[in-house]
Amino acid sequence: MTDTQEPYIALSGIRKGYRIGGEAIPIFSNLDLAIPRGDFVAIMGPSGSGKSTLLNMLAGIDRPDAGTLRIGSSRLDQMGEAARSSWRAHHMGIVFQFYNLLPMLTAAENVELPLLLKPLSARERRTRVDKVLDLVGLAGREKQYPAMMSGGQQQRVGIARAIVSDPGLLLCDEPTGDLDRKSADEVLEMLRFLNRELGKTIVMVTHDPQAALYAKRTLHLDKGDFIEEKRAA
Amino acid sequence: MSTLMKQTRVMIRANLSSLPRRLAISLSMALSVALVVCVLAGFLAMAKGFETVLTGAGSPRVAVVLGGGTHQEAGSDIPASAIRTLDAMTGDIGVSRDTAGNLLSSRELVVPVDVKQAEDGTTRTLALRGMDAVGPMIRDGITLSQGRFFAPGAREIVVGDHLAAEFGLHVGDTVRLGAVDWTVAGHFSANGSAFESEVWGHLDAVRAAFDRQGQVQSLCLRLTSPASLGSLQAKLSTITSTPLVAVSEADLYAAQSGRTASLIRLFGWPLALLMAVGATAGALNTMMSSVSDRTVEIATIRALGFSRLSAFLGTWVEAIILASAGVALGLATAWLAFNGWQASTIGANSARMAFQLTVTPDVMLTAGLLGLAIGILGGALPAIAATRLPLTAALRTRG
Repeated sequence: MTDTQEPYIALSGIRKGYRIGGEAIPIFSNLDLAIPRGDFVAIMGPSGSGKSTLLNMLAGIDRPDAGTLRIGSSRLDQMGEAARSSWRAHHMGIVFQFYNLLPMLTAAENVELPLLLKPLSARERRTRVDKVLDLVGLAGREKQYPAMMSGGQQQRVGIARAIVSDPGLLLCDEPTGDLDRKSADEVLEMLRFLNRELGKTIVMVTHDPQAALYAKRTLHLDKGDFIEEKRAA
Repeated sequence: MSTLMKQTRVMIRANLSSLPRRLAISLSMALSVALVVCVLAGFLAMAKGFETVLTGAGSPRVAVVLGGGTHQEAGSDIPASAIRTLDAMTGDIGVSRDTAGNLLSSRELVVPVDVKQAEDGTTRTLALRGMDAVGPMIRDGITLSQGRFFAPGAREIVVGDHLAAEFGLHVGDTVRLGAVDWTVAGHFSANGSAFESEVWGHLDAVRAAFDRQGQVQSLCLRLTSPASLGSLQAKLSTITSTPLVAVSEADLYAAQSGRTASLIRLFGWPLALLMAVGATAGALNTMMSSVSDRTVEIATIRALGFSRLSAFLGTWVEAIILASAGVALGLATAWLAFNGWQASTIGANSARMAFQLTVTPDVMLTAGLLGLAIGILGGALPAIAATRLPLTAALRTRG
């Protein structure tokens, strides 16, 4: 990225707080963040530092109280609920800590969910689902239900679901928080592959320093501001 | 298929697939709807059966003349002089005549009589109708199913099929009505109408047995056509000795059935509606529980980009499907329990009148729509709640 390039994700002057029992709890008072297209950023920080709030705003689930939030050419801070819902369907994939697969749907049906929001035929959807399940190493398990899979396999289904509609941005919320080390490493390798080979921009919230090492850079969120971690060359 | 339909289909499938997790409360909702539907269907079937038996008894080709300013047979009295005046009328008065030129008419008198039931020995009050020999022939739909009709002046009776079966009155049996014994000469069928709850005998014999000499309550006349009732009424108005009114037999029985059927519905509807309010509250509770149970699933799908409307429709349709199951169960139960069930009530002549509960398609439709309304109303608020779930729940909750 050069200085003249527009960042893919740009937060400027973000103010966000919550009101609990009549008391105002400020989270961010003037947050700025710029992430270029194709970056893989790990966000770390203590509990209550605002990681989840940030992720919710990037996902269009929550809106800042003030400031500018732009992803690509979309101003999320100016969008209504329905527009943000539609934006999520077309531009972003989410990987959840607890996979959040629908237990009554097969792996293929879970992966297919985001494609139902697009004008695709059943054949086109099936082709895409098969392709991403193959990509995450689950070819042949299309008809398995989540309960029949290990945690690592379920998370790979979750990743397949997140990338099946080919979004530019992947948001990962503690994607390895519920996995053993081996499975966690497999999932993180998968994310690194998606970033390096397919050019996905990834923002990953994690508590795990080892997980953060898979990202290109790590931002520590503390007291409402970012501190970038210095890494050895 | 539009994306909304595809989204809604996924939501519905997710909801229905998770039903086993909340089987007990879902079953309770379906059962409460079934109960409401069954109770309402029962009352409506009762009203419908009552209407059927009375409207079946009336023919538009038969006129019933009543006297004494009443529109009911029980309080009516027609003086012999008025009958003689009517008989003496010549020309077309709207009434059919026999080959000898006499009016096809039957003088009638109804006397309540107590009859012991063969089964348990209990006494029931029945209507004994005394009539002229031509009486059964004037009416539509009367057929002799066994034996013969009563002989003029004899202490003989014919019994409706329904009564004969219920009271064990066989042809040739002797039965005590009032102070004298009567012989059962035959059984008649009246297409299941109210007439089958009556006992018919010759007018003279009935008057003699019950000391009603000279009394006539009503005059039954065969009209030349349903439209000739007006002509008859016009002729009756020329008889100034007593006020006489002619009504079609169909209207007479329809009016009787209308009053009683309305009374049955008057009890049935408020009861069913009160139960429906309770069932709606139950449905609301069930569906709120469903939404709560599926918080993570709904929020996850919404976080993926599914619309609020699909979340609404998914929950709403689940409520309607559960209510539909209750409707089906309630209607099936009502059909099995009530359809064809024999009941009886006190008829217009203070005598017992038997009728059959009938679960007709319109009864099923009315009761079914009330059941569906429970699902539609009880599911609406929880469906709205499903659209307002905080999506942040999806991001940090174990599914």
